[in-house]
Amino acid sequence: MSDTIARVPQQIEPNTEQILTRTTPRRRASAGALLRELVVSLWLPVVLFALWWFVSSTSTSPFFPPLSRILEQWWSEFIIGDSVHHVFSSLQNFALGYVLGALIGIIGGTLLWRYRFLRQGTNPIVYFLYVLPAPALLPAMIALFGIGQTRQVALIAFGAVWPTLLNTLDGMRGIDQVKFDTAKAMRLGPTRTLFSLVFRGASPQIAAGLRASLQVALILMVVTEMVAAKEGIGYFILQAQIVFSSVKVWAGIIMLVIIGTLLNYLFVFIEHRVLSWYYRSRALGNS
Amino acid sequence: MNALRRRSLDLLWPVLAIVVALGLWQLLTASGFFRPDQFPTMSATMVAFTDEFTSAKGWLSVWATLQGWFLGLLIASVLALVIGSALAFNSFAFRSAASVIELFKAIPAIAILPLVTLVLGSTLDMKVFLVAFGIFWPLIIQVIYGVRSMDPTVLDTAKALGVHGARRFLVVTIPSAAPYVATGLRIASASALILAVVAEMIAGADGIGRQILMAQNGGMTSYPRMYAYILMSGALGLTLTGAFFLIERKAMHWHESQRNITSNEEKPAR
Repeated sequence: MSDTIARVPQQIEPNTEQILTRTTPRRRASAGALLRELVVSLWLPVVLFALWWFVSSTSTSPFFPPLSRILEQWWSEFIIGDSVHHVFSSLQNFALGYVLGALIGIIGGTLLWRYRFLRQGTNPIVYFLYVLPAPALLPAMIALFGIGQTRQVALIAFGAVWPTLLNTLDGMRGIDQVKFDTAKAMRLGPTRTLFSLVFRGASPQIAAGLRASLQVALILMVVTEMVAAKEGIGYFILQAQIVFSSVKVWAGIIMLVIIGTLLNYLFVFIEHRVLSWYYRSRALGNS
Repeated sequence: MNALRRRSLDLLWPVLAIVVALGLWQLLTASGFFRPDQFPTMSATMVAFTDEFTSAKGWLSVWATLQGWFLGLLIASVLALVIGSALAFNSFAFRSAASVIELFKAIPAIAILPLVTLVLGSTLDMKVFLVAFGIFWPLIIQVIYGVRSMDPTVLDTAKALGVHGARRFLVVTIPSAAPYVATGLRIASASALILAVVAEMIAGADGIGRQILMAQNGGMTSYPRMYAYILMSGALGLTLTGAFFLIERKAMHWHESQRNITSNEEKPAR
């Protein structure tokens, strides 16, 4: 019972795409069907966007300026203006922190899976750090690392570690024992077993953990920039709020929406490339 | 006898680990590896912890955080349940809404915090709105998934028996989707706590987050207090997640997904 560290089932958190593939077995679609699918999935965002545009066009509310002005501001700040460096600063912190956290998570998860005493010993501490709201550590990170970039990267990495670590561990523990016996019978060495059986077998769930870590890292990227920072999208938005410039706040939010969406799509794209064998085998099993 | 010994060993390990971790903390800080302006000693933190949480002051902050957490969670889950199951019943509606939901889910909820602060001020309303907005999108996906994964035979049986309308929703739909919703709620509860703490830390609403930031601003002498509140936020996370976990187990014991877990502990829950 005390060995239940791995029961943090984030893996049953689906996304809409999974719901679609689950209910409609994928067939080779004709061009017409593809077009219809595209129209069905895009009409609502377009309508909402148009609605926002027209309803806000005559708005005089200080908080909800016309969408045209927001987009103008966004264009002049981030496309032709010099606020682009905020975006680069954010992305740099995010990339460093996320990669560091993911690596520590995967390596740590593997070690915990391999050594039972380590798993049992660190169980309560790992669980405590996992449920601890990571932003609460931000002031502590400032005390430890000063107000520079180091503490931003450190906090992003810290938050990104736990979902990946727990899912890695859970995925590895879920591998069928028969496969290990087979590997033994085939006289695979420990290194080959690790790379061609353990990592591969656990990879779908490691991916689920990495996806959850991505969300955490995105949130922490913004939070770290809002406290004692001098650069970044979060800093940009907070500064705009302090001078009550709601148009600038909106422009910053638009930029963040674009960053968040692109990063998510990038992740899904890479995941499908790397795990194409897994999705194919699952699709076969479903139909 | 052997089983008993193993059980007590299983209990011994975690306790030993905590003791070692606390001892290590004390050793590293008291020996000067970490300076007091970087990391307070364990003993000083424990003293601060007892100071804060034997008076009403500390608990009032906990209460303020919990209020934002609870109200946000309540509003988001009711909305997600109603809208989610409505969308799930119609394939066209669901496919149309999917892209919008994915788009909103991709926004880090913190992004809208400055805007919400402008409109609502540093109030409880602000905190509740931020929490509800942040957890609504993952939650509604979970609800749709749960409703759509309903066994078609169950639905057909209900139809044949003439169960429809609100009754079918309450007696058939909700129980079928319940395990997915329960998992979604547990994850949402953790996110809600994070968002509440952030709202307090950055927008200055009352609660644990503000106490942590204030202690940090107070300089070196109040660092033990800062860590006392950080420990408390962790304890809060532990309690809330643990509670959801237990409720999930107790309330869902009849569902096949839970039956599989209890009968075969080593198999993954998928």
